[in-house]
Amino acid sequence: MEPVAGRRWQKVLYERQPFPDNYVDQRFLEELQKNVHARQYRYQAVVFQSGVVAQQLCSVCVFVVTWWYMDAGMLSPQRLFVAALVSSLLGYVLFDAVDGGAGRWESGRTRWADLKSTLVFTAFTYGFSPVLKTLTESISTDTIYAMSALMLLGHLIFFDYGANAAIVSSTLSLNMAIFASVCLASRLPRSLHAFVMVTFAMQIFALWPMLQKKLKALTPRCYVGVTVLFALAALAGLATISTVGAVLFTSLLLAICGLCPYCLIRLQLLKDNIHGPWDEAEIKEDLSRFLM
Amino acid sequence: MSAGVPAGCAHSICMVSDFFYPNMGGVESHVYQLSQCLIERGHKVLVVTHAYGQRKGVRYLTNGLKVYYLPLKVMYNQSTATTLFHSLPLLRYIFVREKVTIVHAHSSFSAMAHDALFHAKTMGLRTVFTDHSLFGFADVSSVLTNKLLTVSLCDTNHIICVSYTSKENTVLRAALDPRIVSVIPNAVDPTDFTPDLSRRNDATITIVVASRLVYRKGIDLLSGIIPELCQKYPELHFLVGGEGPKRIILEEVRERYQLHDRVRLLGALEHQDVRNVLVQGHIFLNTSLTEAFCMAIVEAASCGLQVVSTRVGGIPEVLPEDLIILCEPSVKSLCDGLEKAIAQLRAGTLPSPETVHNKVKMFYTWRNIAERTEKVYDRVADEVVLPMDERLNRLMSHCGPVTGYIFALFAVLNFLFLAFLRWMTPDSVIDVAIDATGPKSTWTKQNFFGKKRKR
Repeated sequence: MEPVAGRRWQKVLYERQPFPDNYVDQRFLEELQKNVHARQYRYQAVVFQSGVVAQQLCSVCVFVVTWWYMDAGMLSPQRLFVAALVSSLLGYVLFDAVDGGAGRWESGRTRWADLKSTLVFTAFTYGFSPVLKTLTESISTDTIYAMSALMLLGHLIFFDYGANAAIVSSTLSLNMAIFASVCLASRLPRSLHAFVMVTFAMQIFALWPMLQKKLKALTPRCYVGVTVLFALAALAGLATISTVGAVLFTSLLLAICGLCPYCLIRLQLLKDNIHGPWDEAEIKEDLSRFLM
Repeated sequence: MSAGVPAGCAHSICMVSDFFYPNMGGVESHVYQLSQCLIERGHKVLVVTHAYGQRKGVRYLTNGLKVYYLPLKVMYNQSTATTLFHSLPLLRYIFVREKVTIVHAHSSFSAMAHDALFHAKTMGLRTVFTDHSLFGFADVSSVLTNKLLTVSLCDTNHIICVSYTSKENTVLRAALDPRIVSVIPNAVDPTDFTPDLSRRNDATITIVVASRLVYRKGIDLLSGIIPELCQKYPELHFLVGGEGPKRIILEEVRERYQLHDRVRLLGALEHQDVRNVLVQGHIFLNTSLTEAFCMAIVEAASCGLQVVSTRVGGIPEVLPEDLIILCEPSVKSLCDGLEKAIAQLRAGTLPSPETVHNKVKMFYTWRNIAERTEKVYDRVADEVVLPMDERLNRLMSHCGPVTGYIFALFAVLNFLFLAFLRWMTPDSVIDVAIDATGPKSTWTKQNFFGKKRKR
């Protein structure tokens, strides 16, 4: 059958049309769209966002360096505790000052509640520190190192960097970091060391990212400054232990904040994503309100 | 009866799909109805599927439709596992015994269908494939399945899709030449879906939903529509047929808004009960998020209901605008569409169920579908099957450097395996089965009962 002149093909199935079943019209694939959701990134913005990853790497680095100093006896637990306490208090004040107390007012959490949880947590950790110290003592040091390295890697993998992915789990991430700290604490000489190590891990892995998040959202410039300073501090600390490590760590940071964003933007140009009427529709509304 | 097919043109067709009776669904009824109509037109048709529990071996259905239930392991969702090789001995026996000339595989979810296509090509048989579903392109699983589909279809003679949207989708997924893809819709048996005004209560307005209660059917949207409309219209009732994991949220909604007397959840429906549920309603609601053809709205329209549906996939092609109200897939848009339908119903401006039925019954009939499918078979019968060297070339040039070479190797192995099987049991040794299909064949009621009486 040849297309009949004057009769246009219609994209309908209910009508018998004078065209063969395998007829291909000019309108074939006219509803095809490409790269609907593809975003054009700016290099600066991507570098800014990559700061979160660099920060977390530095946190891990600072933590390990601190442990090293404690293990070598070059840092007393009292000094670390005081330093951590002072910086935590500073961070606490800053946390409220940045948004003028708006976040606190919203959550309705009182300072008394903060103090209470801090006291409870510190008291419990202090009370259990002999247990924490001996918990993994019978395990060989090599295993401890391997386990800590694995746990810290896991912490970095599952950390909530702001991406909306299934793999992200901040609870798992924090737990892995705390587990690593408990493992490492067992290699330290006394239970006071273990106590300080675990509280320090809490501060650097739980509280510090919260402050960073707020800084990033409200004062981006200040955040960049803090990130750079923090990274420099971590590098300096690492350099006192191992020059090679410091060089490698620097190149890692540079790759993450410079090379990776560049690659992302280059690869983004190659994106070829097709959409059309065959795509599964997305439910954009929040339907949970009907069940509340 | 056999509608004037010249004797030389009769084909021997083997339908292969993992999905067949006793499983129920769109593909299953498509295979069955199409086979029946092809038998009526004088072709020999057999169906190959996997064993369903105790239902195994060879069975004969109406008009001598022979069904092979093969002992293959089911892996997931009634689909068999595939190794590309293990089914060759069985399928080869069947193809040789039944003198199959065309292998017609159904559904891209069916591993057995793809296996059969692969073996049929090795054996030099003509191949046809019907795609019943739509796929996306974005996630990892669809990237992988699309690659496999490319491999499976690159040397298949002809492909059939159930709607134009489905054709566009398949052409893109498998990187095909659109001219070897035909669009032949599904059909419904209009005599099964007739209106019955006495069954519905005109004091109320009843909205019917009949689908599996799963995410892809948009049941989440339904859970928003029910409270929204029930608060607005006190005489509104919902009748929901079907079962699935999303039933729980409908039950929660019913509980939360105290709608036990107005929202009835009927649970899973047998195919013969669907009509009895449909005729109790005034409006049919379809909330699917993706759909290649959607038989449900045709069945509902055939029962004389006003259809309200989401505008997704091939749905806009299925019914003319005066029989369907199309909405965006959101609670608000669907509620607007339903309110429009309710207003028309109250004003009495909706066409009567009888007129709607008479209109719809002309649209899709299995006889017409079989006629069009037959044309595809005729066309395919004239084509040449790619010889081995060209098939390897096609695989390597068409499916990408890695996948292409891997599957070319598989094709060679399959060929060697076939040669081995032919050496073990030559084709000449295999018995040829008697042709039982068709109303005039050996397997008709008269002959069957006649022989029995003689005993």
